Amino acid sequence: MTDATLEIRGVTKDFPGVRALDTVSMRLEAGQIHALLGENGAGKSTLIKILTGVYQPDTGEVLLRGRHQRFQSPRDAIAAGIGVVHQERNLINRFSVGENILLEKLPTKRGLVDYAAVFEQAAPWLAALDLRVDPRTPVIDLSVAQMQLVEIAKALSLRTKILLMDEPTASITPHESEVLFDLLRRLRDDGVSIVFVSHKLEEVFALCDRVTVLRDGRNACESRPLTGLARADIVKLMIGRDERIARFGEKVVDRRRPALELRDVATGHGHHHVGLTLYKGEIVGLYGLVGSGRSELAKAIIGAEPLTAGHVEVNGQSAPIRSVTQALNRYRIGYVSEDRKHDGLILIHSVLRNVGITIWNRIAGVLGLTTRRAEADRVLPYIERLEIRTPSLSQTVGNLSGGNQQKVSVAKWLAAETEILIIDEPTIGIDIKTKTYLHELIWGLAAGGTAVLLISSDMPEMIALADRILVMNNFAIVGEVENTRDYDQVSNAIMGHIHDPSEGQGRAGPPPAAAGV
Amino acid sequence: MSGDLWHRLRRAEWFGLLLISALGVLVLALAKQTFLSPFNIYVMLLGFSLSIMVAMSQMVIIAIGQMNLSVGAIGGLVAISFAGMMEVWGLPIPLAILAGLLIGVLCGCLNGILTVVTGITAFIITLATLSIFKGINLGITEAQPFYDIPAPVKWFGNASIGPIPYLVILPVLAVIAMWFLMNRAVIGRHMLAVGGNPQAAALSGISVGRTIVAAHALSGGLAAIGGMLVVARLQIGQPTIGDDWLIVSFAAPVIGGAVLAGGHISVIGTCLGVIIVTLITNALVLLAIDPFFVELLLGGLILGAVGLNRYREVNAEAARARAHAAPT
Repeated sequence: MTDATLEIRGVTKDFPGVRALDTVSMRLEAGQIHALLGENGAGKSTLIKILTGVYQPDTGEVLLRGRHQRFQSPRDAIAAGIGVVHQERNLINRFSVGENILLEKLPTKRGLVDYAAVFEQAAPWLAALDLRVDPRTPVIDLSVAQMQLVEIAKALSLRTKILLMDEPTASITPHESEVLFDLLRRLRDDGVSIVFVSHKLEEVFALCDRVTVLRDGRNACESRPLTGLARADIVKLMIGRDERIARFGEKVVDRRRPALELRDVATGHGHHHVGLTLYKGEIVGLYGLVGSGRSELAKAIIGAEPLTAGHVEVNGQSAPIRSVTQALNRYRIGYVSEDRKHDGLILIHSVLRNVGITIWNRIAGVLGLTTRRAEADRVLPYIERLEIRTPSLSQTVGNLSGGNQQKVSVAKWLAAETEILIIDEPTIGIDIKTKTYLHELIWGLAAGGTAVLLISSDMPEMIALADRILVMNNFAIVGEVENTRDYDQVSNAIMGHIHDPSEGQGRAGPPPAAAGV
Repeated sequence: MSGDLWHRLRRAEWFGLLLISALGVLVLALAKQTFLSPFNIYVMLLGFSLSIMVAMSQMVIIAIGQMNLSVGAIGGLVAISFAGMMEVWGLPIPLAILAGLLIGVLCGCLNGILTVVTGITAFIITLATLSIFKGINLGITEAQPFYDIPAPVKWFGNASIGPIPYLVILPVLAVIAMWFLMNRAVIGRHMLAVGGNPQAAALSGISVGRTIVAAHALSGGLAAIGGMLVVARLQIGQPTIGDDWLIVSFAAPVIGGAVLAGGHISVIGTCLGVIIVTLITNALVLLAIDPFFVELLLGGLILGAVGLNRYREVNAEAARARAHAAPT
């Protein structure tokens, strides 16, 4: 029987401090390509992890061909015929194509791997995908697109009836994408059900039959046929419009002299001709989808990665920033990173040390020695101002809640008395109350004279906070939108810049190695 | 005031180690009268003096989240260079000491620069330089010791006030300096930050590469002092000096609560770790147990200490998960 219906009913999944999925449903029919869409943090990856047995739902059920399933591990999901091709490659580079395809069940003869059988059994899968490579080729010699096909071959060889594709076109060229789409259509016609996750709406419209959109961990729409839906409808579903746009007080932007100015900046990531002006007291938003190059630009501005061309000015003076130390101590530029656990905080260290890290050089006395008191005196006011809920300054940061951790990663830049602050996705995975608090804080900082560059994928956040919004796509700034605080108008203008089919088409794209995303 | 001190003492992470050490001393003193004899105390202080330099040399590298397998090879190379320069070239003692320190620091710098530039783990780099340093050592000495050590060096190695050897002076000063360095100095903070999360450290304006090289240079310098102290103690420049340092170099910091992944060490804990190792070694001698069992015991001790740290970690994580699961 080829019926491969997969149904998710009212699945809820909680993580410490956040509800990642809230009664989410989705119905996947046999022989369909089903788009799963949503912005960053909408819950797509959590849902995929539940379907592949990495996570177990707290409540709700997963039904396969009408039968209740409870995957305890990825092995259970594979056994049930669910295969996944992740955004990042999961192959063993030094092994041959054949071995990679059959890795879970290598044919053996008297306890030894039977290589003749490996290559013989792998060949039909390659042929089925029109992948003309020798199964003896080491995977490392393949192109990224070919590796992806090997992963699909691997999934199919495991009798996969349901194939999850997580942003499969993120790192391949448009032409390779077309070849991939033809293949996916053929698989669909053969009765395989495909879940297709992508940020590129053109692809969704070209390929998919139905669509489920997630927003803030909930269904914005559930398994709707794509026919009859326009791009604008999908965009609306993705970014939502029911959230009230908060109004903060008035603030004055000092437009006499830019605090930070970038002209024709380029980087090794592929940024080109990036221009940007940021005034004292201003909040400039930098909007763009995942992988558009926003965080990479931020890291280049603070000197963590080199600029390959262009000119930077701080307060009207030329500022060739060569290191983060220089950006911080000489130009007073700070960067609140997006991934606080990976890039922002030292989880095993105390609150005091995490906040104090930016000022040690400044408070050091003779012999480079500091005292706990000097550090605490500088740190404590910010802990209090940000209302960081911690039992003491010695508390290990890893023990705080997500919201308080985020406050700590903001506090360290406030303690450093930065005049220019780049804030990257400040409220991802943060509860509503702390989110509102952080919004007020960012507004307050700007009102106090700090120049803020706000990177966010959260449209309501952007419209609530930013004075102007720059739109980034494919490592270039493709447009600027004056924020009128009229949600529909601004969001449509932004989305127009991003999804304008005349932009980003036929590009060569950055080479995969240099893109590093 | 004293109550406050007691309270702080009890909360210190090394308080348990202090109790164990005290208990060890008590048991051994009751079991063997010779334990508290001046000579035995003298012997233990000598053992402590040498081991603590080795342990701190490794501790610095553990702080940045790496490992230094070449600690002993650096100590050995410095030891024979120190002795050789005085014997063969007739170099004055202060100059020989400076040159010895310089060699140690340079060896450390080489380790650090190689790890930073190549991006290869320090484990592999120091495995290679271990062999290189040892090779230079054997090439110079042809496996023969330098016997002609100047009298003042020999005197320093032997002199004592009662049961307290002069040799203990330098290690005690080094411990104090290291405490300030790791707890109060900016560079020590930088090392711990790099060990705790190199990405976060880099994005907070710390030069990760420079910090790693500095830690390796410091490690080399501490190993160098250790090597020269052994020359004074043995009264000859033995090419085999440093060969047996590796186990104790990891044992003491790990017993002292160091996190092998980096970012957390304890200078006082490491000292207590060395004391415990010294007590065990001494107990085996006093109880006339084959000294070859020392290695076996130390190995067991490392496993025990790492296991205990891991157990605490898992417990803390579970407690955190429970706390978060509770409705807020």
